[in-house]
Amino acid sequence: MSPWVVGFSVFIVYPMVSSLYFSFTRYDLLSEPVFVGLENYRFMFTQDPNFWQSVRNTLWMVGVGVSLRIVFGVVTATVLTWPRRGAKVYRTIFFLPTMAPPVAAAVAFVFVLNPRIGPVNQLLGALGMEHPPLWFYSPGSAKWGLVLLGLWGVGDAMIIFLAGLLDVPRQLYEAAEIEGAGPWQRFRFVTLPMISPVIFFNLVMGVISGFQYFTQAYVASVATSGNRVATQALGYPQGSMLFYSVYLYQQGFTYFRMGYASAMAWVLFLITMACTALIFRTSARWVHYGGALR
Amino acid sequence: MARELPTGGVAAGVVPRPLPPGVRRRRFLQAVANHTVLVALSAMFLMPFVFVVLTALMTDRQALSAAIWPRPFRWSNFLEVFRAIDLVRYTWNTVQVAVGATVGVVVSCVPVAYALSRLRWRGRQAAFVVVLSTLMLPFQVTVVPLYIIFVRFGWIPSLKPLIVPMFFGDAFSIFLLRQFFLTIPEELTDAARVDGASELQIMTRVVVPLAKPAIAAVALFQFLYSWNDLFAPLLFVGGDPNLWTLSIGLAQFRTMTQVDWNLMMAASVLFMLPVIVLFFLAQRVFVEGVTLTGVKG
Amino acid sequence: MRRALVVLSVLAAVGAACTAGGGGGTSPPPTIEPSGTHEPVTIEIWGAWSGRELKQFNQIFPAFEEKYPWITVKSVGNRDDEAIVAAIRAGNPPDVVLSFGLDSVGEFCASGGWQDLTPYIEQSDFDLSQFPESVFKYTSFAGSQCALPFLTDAYGLYYNVDLFEKAGLTEPPKTFSELTEYAKKLTEFNPDGSIKVAGFVPWAGFYEFGAVTLSIPWQAHWYDESGEHSAVATDPRWKQALEWQRDLVDFYGAANLKRFIAGLGGEWGAGHAFHHGQIAMMIDGEWRTAFIQDLAPDLNYATAPFPVPDDAADRYGMGQIGGTIIGIPRGSPHPAEAWLLVSWMATDTDTLVYMANNVRNVPTTYAALESPDLDVTPQFKTFLDIFQNPYSHYKETSAIGVQDQDLMGAFMEDWQEGKVPDLQAGLEQVAEQIDALLAQARI
Repeated sequence: MSPWVVGFSVFIVYPMVSSLYFSFTRYDLLSEPVFVGLENYRFMFTQDPNFWQSVRNTLWMVGVGVSLRIVFGVVTATVLTWPRRGAKVYRTIFFLPTMAPPVAAAVAFVFVLNPRIGPVNQLLGALGMEHPPLWFYSPGSAKWGLVLLGLWGVGDAMIIFLAGLLDVPRQLYEAAEIEGAGPWQRFRFVTLPMISPVIFFNLVMGVISGFQYFTQAYVASVATSGNRVATQALGYPQGSMLFYSVYLYQQGFTYFRMGYASAMAWVLFLITMACTALIFRTSARWVHYGGALR
Repeated sequence: MARELPTGGVAAGVVPRPLPPGVRRRRFLQAVANHTVLVALSAMFLMPFVFVVLTALMTDRQALSAAIWPRPFRWSNFLEVFRAIDLVRYTWNTVQVAVGATVGVVVSCVPVAYALSRLRWRGRQAAFVVVLSTLMLPFQVTVVPLYIIFVRFGWIPSLKPLIVPMFFGDAFSIFLLRQFFLTIPEELTDAARVDGASELQIMTRVVVPLAKPAIAAVALFQFLYSWNDLFAPLLFVGGDPNLWTLSIGLAQFRTMTQVDWNLMMAASVLFMLPVIVLFFLAQRVFVEGVTLTGVKG
Repeated sequence: MRRALVVLSVLAAVGAACTAGGGGGTSPPPTIEPSGTHEPVTIEIWGAWSGRELKQFNQIFPAFEEKYPWITVKSVGNRDDEAIVAAIRAGNPPDVVLSFGLDSVGEFCASGGWQDLTPYIEQSDFDLSQFPESVFKYTSFAGSQCALPFLTDAYGLYYNVDLFEKAGLTEPPKTFSELTEYAKKLTEFNPDGSIKVAGFVPWAGFYEFGAVTLSIPWQAHWYDESGEHSAVATDPRWKQALEWQRDLVDFYGAANLKRFIAGLGGEWGAGHAFHHGQIAMMIDGEWRTAFIQDLAPDLNYATAPFPVPDDAADRYGMGQIGGTIIGIPRGSPHPAEAWLLVSWMATDTDTLVYMANNVRNVPTTYAALESPDLDVTPQFKTFLDIFQNPYSHYKETSAIGVQDQDLMGAFMEDWQEGKVPDLQAGLEQVAEQIDALLAQARI
């Protein structure tokens, strides 16, 4: 127990307390921290357009990215329950992309979605699309590139849904079928409620990690912007990939604005807590424990 | 994607019973349709891998062209890439971090999880709540002071910040292990206690052998996490290319000298390969582990 | 109880470790009699060199050690600014530091992280007139000369002679309107309307083209004379520069240009578009001559100063300069020996010529520039001249480091895409953001 207590104090408690303190200072690591009161928070909320852009980007990613991932996860898991033979092979294939290290996966997608030489756009061009998207090179489509990347690696969510789906008692479907429910109704009124706890779990985890989205955005920006200095590429194109954690990293560790970064971290913490609390509050309405049918 | 739902909503298999030929025909067609969807999805999941590998085998000029199929196959790219970037060093650094962190997590988390599930002591419940709440804490909140601590220790740049903290426990792993330990019947440990075994002996001789799957999952998760992570390595060793991990090396590939898509893809392949091999070796542990966190959590 | 004590003591220890810091005094600099006898000492220099360049860099020290036999120099490569700042902060910096990060000079000087060298300079009668005046613009900040130059970069125009001949052009463009005209003549489109060869790619973020490289030939100022306010909204040059840029972007079409860029090889690889005649002109630094020699020796190209605004034609010949800097960090263990090394590195002709010939940068003293040993090709000569042009400069540094150019770069990304309806209003917004950051840095 005691190593954990030491670790907990040194690596969690002390940093939390001092980061709260730093959030009220200007601190560049080279000179002593200067207490500035609420200045960092004032600047953040009233004078820093990049902050708001990073918030908007992140909320978009959490909203669109996480929900599409859940939908696609449920779809792929459902599809995996169909075959009576070969299910394991399909499952392995569907899961494989999840194993690709995020950096490698992002690099691969930057290439696959390259507007001129990437196979996806060549295919779209061959299909007669005149102006296929520029993907990671255009602010309008860059985040969709990341969404696709997220869907490709849907495996971890999918496996959990699959376990949930296989846990649904068969009698429920049979009962529904006897009562004349079609496939969609069976899905809507049997499957969905039965796996709602799993959806809830994935939603909470997705939201928490969505707010910390970093690696894929970092890699995509650095690989596409062509800028010699990696840190100057962050957010490319046009700040559309400037997610909250990316911006925090830039402020804290490339500009050495440690005080400001700490303030951002606390705001992040509070937003995450608020969103999670909100999901928990609403969960009573749509999460069904104990298999009760609606 | 969602369009496929209504047509394919036969969510679970149907109990076999004798069927008239018409129904059997429908079932057969249904199976063909099902497998078509599955094969199409499989193709989508595999395509990016295929493109990456094919591009890794092209010449640099060809990789910049519209070509899909390499001509000729340049297997030497996989050697070339070692000259373009210091892949050996990155791999060695990554292995050190991943192995070190994994050992650290297992060694430190098993006793804590044991104490939280098997020992009765005042404040146990409170301690568990604390562990749970740190699961929610974004790394970003602690990272600035941590960076400053490591600077004071003279650990920046070095691999230590990526390894040493793991010897002091990790909330996620503690949580996962505790959940599993709780499923081990009390009678087993009580019996050992009656036989006069110390708590340490009970833990190492009774609980650990029974909890092998969970420990394997924890180890695997930590290994993969450390192998893949970009954020922490970027912070703590980003300043010294000699200490870069594979993640940093690949992320910075484009900004460094002498690179092109073919070599970048070759490097990606080499980076993915060990993890994918590991996955095939330990697929069961892995899938069970993911499911354990999701469903039982 | 014991556990609580452990926690408390750990917290206290860590707390103490985190609040300590170096203080800066203004006592006279330590000096050392260079010709006397001394205890042997080893001094350490950190820099971001790596690979081949690091090996070449390490070759310079034996000459120094011969001159000062009691000093041994240990050179550590792969140490970028982040590592250096961390070491200064931790109180165990090396004796001498070397940085490629010009934009941090403001922060280095203002924070005292890099010591003001003025007392050393005065004490040792160090002659500053051996450097062209222009180097002081990027080695000092707010009256603190906290660094000395150690070779520099210079930016100019690269153009493909074969493509010029094909288009019937002989001389490089000298003004921005000529640049536009040339670029249009040199551009070739494919039948489907996509770009085959681009005359000049005016896209921020493409290779070296960006906010800084655009502002300097346009003579656009980043700050007003007080240095306390951004000038991006008040200096009319900014508007002219950006409108010039948009005009040329519109010639290609932004989306068309992006698609073209996305398919080009990387800046540092063998697939570089200029090496393969895919772009006819570009702005780049003197180092490109070495890359071309290495990777595309048959390329028929020439260099020239970058064009200037039509109404500033008298400044033709100037360009962006600025390069590696060296200095003494706060807490340097052997500052007297460190100064010997810094002053030697900054001025020793053989060393500068050797580095210039191998790493292909522009040497920074008059003596080295004129040295007969300096290996000068016609393409490289252009950059020696640009460096010595009295109008050449780097962008004004400030206490906010690269944040100003990052903001401007982000704005240019919007602008070139046509996402900025009102240029003046947009520039005012950028100026406001820069001012806000400056104000924050002063609190």
